[in-house]
Amino acid sequence: MSQYASLLIALPLFGAFFIPILKRTSKNAVMPFLVLVTLIQTGIAAWVFNEVYTTGKPIIVLAGGFKPPVGINLYIGHFAALFVLVIALASFLMAVFSLRAVSIEPKDKYAMLFLLLMLGATGMISTGDIFNLFVFMEITAISAYALTAYNKTGEASEAALKYIVLGGIGSSFFLVGVALIYGSLGTLNMAHIAELAHLVNPTVAKAGLALLIFGLAVEAEQFPLNAWAPDAYQEAPHPVTAMFSAFVVKASLYAMGRVIYILSAVEGWDSILRLLIILGTLTVIIGEMSALRQSNVKRMFAYSSIAQVGLIAVGLALGTQAGLSASVFHMFNHAIVKALMFLAVGYVALELGGAEISKFEGLGKKMPITAFAITVGAVSIIGIPLFNVFWSKVQLILAALNAQYTWVVALILGASLVEATYYIRLIHAMWFKGEGEKVKESNVLALVMLLLVALIIVIGIYPEPFWNAMQKAGSDIFDVAQYVKNVPLLGVNP
Amino acid sequence: MNPYYFASIALILIGLYAVLTKRNVLKILVGLSIMETGVNLLLISVGYVSGRSAPILSEGITPDRAVDPIPQALVLTAIVIGVATTAMALSVVINLYERYKTLNVEEIRRLRG
Repeated sequence: MSQYASLLIALPLFGAFFIPILKRTSKNAVMPFLVLVTLIQTGIAAWVFNEVYTTGKPIIVLAGGFKPPVGINLYIGHFAALFVLVIALASFLMAVFSLRAVSIEPKDKYAMLFLLLMLGATGMISTGDIFNLFVFMEITAISAYALTAYNKTGEASEAALKYIVLGGIGSSFFLVGVALIYGSLGTLNMAHIAELAHLVNPTVAKAGLALLIFGLAVEAEQFPLNAWAPDAYQEAPHPVTAMFSAFVVKASLYAMGRVIYILSAVEGWDSILRLLIILGTLTVIIGEMSALRQSNVKRMFAYSSIAQVGLIAVGLALGTQAGLSASVFHMFNHAIVKALMFLAVGYVALELGGAEISKFEGLGKKMPITAFAITVGAVSIIGIPLFNVFWSKVQLILAALNAQYTWVVALILGASLVEATYYIRLIHAMWFKGEGEKVKESNVLALVMLLLVALIIVIGIYPEPFWNAMQKAGSDIFDVAQYVKNVPLLGVNP
Repeated sequence: MNPYYFASIALILIGLYAVLTKRNVLKILVGLSIMETGVNLLLISVGYVSGRSAPILSEGITPDRAVDPIPQALVLTAIVIGVATTAMALSVVINLYERYKTLNVEEIRRLRG
């Protein structure tokens, strides 16, 4: 029964390659087909989530029935089950938005790349093999390059070019890291690596791990390698921007956490954690400072996203289970909030012809539901109580105090202060400035936005059930011994 | 130590140098390709054992007389991915040249701030 979980990978792949055939019969059916495939994917992901969380056991799919490390396995534990659902749901909502937001031809190419982006992120989260991780990372990256350039303007191509150059450097670093680890351990399977990690030469392992982190840092938008992100976020089609922020980044961060923790038995491993903490801190500072002086709202949200991702990386690198759980909680909350905000901003840019802050003046009178959604998202991301991000920020602060990183508290509070400055400026422009005629808002999109707003408020008021799920997801990454035990390694388990 | 390691690391560094210092977009992409070649050579040399033959089972060649086949399979995959990235990049550059009429990265900067 659990073998059906491989449909999570198979369905988007078949869906993507069915589109050229579909286009020959009917051109108008492509976008509804995209919505249908993402809806089915959400159904499968919900089934997998239910299966994993009720039985408490991870689903492990062995490709071709060969046991790892000979064969390749998919590992869908608590973390992967949760985030596969987030990915599928975000893709579904963005597919609905795409019906309206994407008007430039060729729509069939758009739909194919959209499905491949979803496939890549799903694969990165559920794979159990570092080379497979590389392949899925490249599927994500290449479809992301193409989607960034999709609008075919000069600016879109410029953004895509920056992304390609940085992504190319990153993937080369990643492969060198894979080569170092394979050269010293003779295996690519994550569980097998974790089992043999104490045998490896610490210098080689640390160098390999640092290279893997730098390779993943491009997609995860960590400091020296995130120059592509604001440009790509600004120029990509609106639904794609939301997908980048909601799950492509999260998949890379998860992969980062996983490769770090499977090598936790290596001597001097703490230095890698410190490296990631420094990267994360610089990412937060630079993201917040740059967000402050943006006049394009989409670009401002992009920098805000970078800052949040930095906080998540700091949480991942605290080295404690509480830190990981808090970080996973922040990933989850941030995915919801940023999906909502990029959806709303994209919708405004579509209706009013641009995302400059001047277009947002009087939005409360022109498009009240959209303005309300942006306000809730902004208030939530600042970290006001009774909204979801408040709880993950609190958990991050508690975890940092427990891990004796007192200055992280100052970092989080300072970041929230800067966020408050620029988000309140936006809220002020929306509600207290300018006049305007009321624009008719699309009912479907209003429904999607209100759904996400409701989710934000529900998590804000009842955080406990969500926090319990996040703790399970966090321990899925942290508890490497259990991870090794779950994977049926050849010659180890009967 | 295997002498191929030095050659491959030299190729990676030459490629990185080209990516970081060249002004022409096409030269940057050539630099990326050189980097990828270096990485592929490194992967191959990880599995190379002097004096053994290719990992194809035939007369007189047993698994202990062949080199490690896994890096070769990985390199085939990596080459295909590299080709896809290069093709993607070149098509973006064509579009970029049509809009900006230049290939100089110093002039391709409308997105700032």
